[in-house]
Amino acid sequence: MKTSFQFPVTSFQMKTLCCGTLGMLMAIPVFAQKKPASKTATAQAAPAPPPATVIRGGTCLTVSHGTIDNCAVVIEGSKITYVGAASGAKAPVGAKTVDATGMTVYPGLIDSETHLGLTEIEADPMTNDMIEMSDEIMPHMHVYDAFHAESALIPVTRLNGITNAVVAPANRDTLPGQDIFIQLDGREQPDYILLRDNAMALNFTGEQRRNESFERAKFPQTRMGMASQLRQTFIDTQEYMRKMDEWSRKSDADKAKGSEPKKDLKFDALVPYLQGKKPVVLAAETGSDIDTAVALAEEFKLRFVLNHVTHSQKVLDRIAALKVPVIVGPIYEMPYEDERYDAVYSLPAQLAKRGVKVAFASYDAHQSRNLPYAAGYAVAFGLPHDEALRAITLTPAEIWGVADQLGSLDAGKTANVVVANGDPLDVKTDVKRVFISGREIPMESRQTRLRGQYWNK
Amino acid sequence: MTRNFARLAWLWLALAGAATLSAQTPIPAKGDVLIKNATVLTVTHGRQEHASIYVKDGKIAAYGATVNAPAGVTVIDAGGKYVTPGIIDSHSHMALDHDVNEATSPIVPQMKMLDAFVYDDKEIYRALAGGVTSALLLHGSADMIGGQAVVIKLKYGMQKEEMLFPGAPQSIKFASGENPKRVFGSKGTLPSTRMGNFAVQRQALLEAQQYMKDWDEYNAKVAKGDKDAKAPRRDLKLEALADVLRGKMLVQIHCYRADELLTEMAMAKEFGYKVRAFHHALEAYKVADKLAENGVGIATFSDWWGYKYEAWDAIPWNAVIAMRKGVKVAIKSDSDDFTRRLNQEAAKTMRYGGATEDEAMKMITINPAWIIGVDDKVGSIDVGKDGDLVLWSDYPLSSFAVPEKVWIDGVLFFDRSLPGLGMPQMKEGQ
Repeated sequence: MKTSFQFPVTSFQMKTLCCGTLGMLMAIPVFAQKKPASKTATAQAAPAPPPATVIRGGTCLTVSHGTIDNCAVVIEGSKITYVGAASGAKAPVGAKTVDATGMTVYPGLIDSETHLGLTEIEADPMTNDMIEMSDEIMPHMHVYDAFHAESALIPVTRLNGITNAVVAPANRDTLPGQDIFIQLDGREQPDYILLRDNAMALNFTGEQRRNESFERAKFPQTRMGMASQLRQTFIDTQEYMRKMDEWSRKSDADKAKGSEPKKDLKFDALVPYLQGKKPVVLAAETGSDIDTAVALAEEFKLRFVLNHVTHSQKVLDRIAALKVPVIVGPIYEMPYEDERYDAVYSLPAQLAKRGVKVAFASYDAHQSRNLPYAAGYAVAFGLPHDEALRAITLTPAEIWGVADQLGSLDAGKTANVVVANGDPLDVKTDVKRVFISGREIPMESRQTRLRGQYWNK
Repeated sequence: MTRNFARLAWLWLALAGAATLSAQTPIPAKGDVLIKNATVLTVTHGRQEHASIYVKDGKIAAYGATVNAPAGVTVIDAGGKYVTPGIIDSHSHMALDHDVNEATSPIVPQMKMLDAFVYDDKEIYRALAGGVTSALLLHGSADMIGGQAVVIKLKYGMQKEEMLFPGAPQSIKFASGENPKRVFGSKGTLPSTRMGNFAVQRQALLEAQQYMKDWDEYNAKVAKGDKDAKAPRRDLKLEALADVLRGKMLVQIHCYRADELLTEMAMAKEFGYKVRAFHHALEAYKVADKLAENGVGIATFSDWWGYKYEAWDAIPWNAVIAMRKGVKVAIKSDSDDFTRRLNQEAAKTMRYGGATEDEAMKMITINPAWIIGVDDKVGSIDVGKDGDLVLWSDYPLSSFAVPEKVWIDGVLFFDRSLPGLGMPQMKEGQ
């Protein structure tokens, strides 16, 4: 794991926050104290800071600096203030103690692509806001405009220790819009959203073609069409940037004489990506699609991470040479007919062996809670366990530019901490406690309430 | 569209491959093997450490701490690793070329999945590599009464007839709820509501009652020597339904909502047939005592939910709540993907509700075997049962286990250590 690839947080993060619609966000740093999201708190009541907590006696999987037996994690406010031997931990005044004897303690898990908050019931279009299919080039779609923080799926997901996620549009457009990076708790919708427009999907898997049938086919019917449409879009954006730049350099006198170039939301959305200021999440599954998509990205000097890599056994070395992180999977993707049964299962291990930094994603909303098991299954096929855990914690934190705040148990980081009765990657493991920004999440969801209603009936 | 093209192309290649297959040495139908030094999860009587299993002529001949096997038998040293019975998937549509819904009428019991069975579909190979050795292949859920299922053993590489589970009873698929009403409602035809669904089902069963009566009367006349007796017209649809009423078929019902589970059981009582199992049954936990009373099993998902309204109240504790109330519970796949890792899906019941190792294992072995009606032949490690066994790389009820070897009837069908597909019975390129 020698490749170092990390997007600087501050350059785009603060900027995008400033451009958000909610003024209150401008005032607070992104990872500043989170307010508790108590359901009983009235609108007027000032939210009390979370009490200090000492999680004592467990086995800490720090991710950043190994495993510590009989450890303690001290949480004060929204931050971790101590990670180390239980004997060395000083409990802050009034701190509550959590006995974690026999438990594992690990950082909150990060799902690198979900549709949480964009769907409730898959079959009901009224509850779905996952993709705007009217055009393939929709970079001006902002996930935050649709993100439904009160979704019943979010409590279900966080009960399995997923504390952060990238919410992306579905992949049926080449440029479906811009992502958000969330934490799975908050008092109001804006509290959930840590980063707005943090990245843009660029999908080149073939599923973006409008080729339902020969009769109903529309442009782009082929991958050639997709590529040429993207190329034209980027060229037009460059031209737009040139005109805008030219205009901005004009003196006031010259401006008074001329007319400002017409603003275009699509081009505006693409500008930071063509400037290389924000990452493009480049989805391609096969070797040939990866080649085409990467060539396109390089032609326009896009900064990118690879996504959805699945049927790529023949180009593993080429992928490694790109020195970019790879979001692999879904690991459960069916192999092609000519592939061995484990062609996709073993991909994360094979990439990691070549020094590629891998991350996992659920690519789903309802099944986001099963994220750790994808990493676990990669272990079954040869990925070292510590790299698998890293692939759903610190590596995604690095990819999404938040590694200074998330992804490991370290003093100074946001207190997203999970306590469970076993290996985080094992299907049998029961998550017992979840802390998000220092607040202990009630272990309740729509599903636990139904369980309670019928358990003894 | 193109995916279908690709699929057809592969199918064609696979068929071309099958032609060369017959020229090779035939794959034996039954085999002998001695597996030593294994941690055996027997399912029916717990875990046995340092145990051996001897399969003779395709059947389990002996197992336990000391097993006598003749010299010359193939010996596998499990090195302490886990051996379980083969996994059984009680709800699959694999190897049917996604050709599983005759959705042109809500009542199509005359459809036979055997006619759609693509015996050399790679889906079988992938499921086999996940440890599945038997499966119930069902009609889709577009219709209130769908077609007749087929039970297979996943002997990938063998011919169609050789893959059918010998002596398995005939199952038939019923459905209810959102799928039939959506499929037919969207065409502007009956049924478009749950009222319509059950009206259509009841009407069909009434016709079948009359058909059965007509044939019974005719047969009685013939038995009495009445030479003028006129045979009623044979009707494949009503003949199949009459077999349901005569109790000759296991009725497998796709059904989600608690109220519909109750209605289906009431309907069965009204017409005098038995429901073998409800499939999906995501609200079984709400009426589990009633299911137990009626001796109806469930074949359910571990934690799928929210994909439609009738899956909105799904909870991952469903399986264990139902089990504790006395329902026979199977975890099934209904998916060419999930069938490859049913062991993990079963393990989730240990986490959601605290199923024991034996209870979790039963949900993917003996209980689905019961649902299919083959629990006297497979689903546990017992003397006399089929030699369908899986050797795992790790503890099977975990994220970390992969089948290393899979035997069916004592014949090694999958061996992960081999190159290519890992199919010891097939040559490269098949």
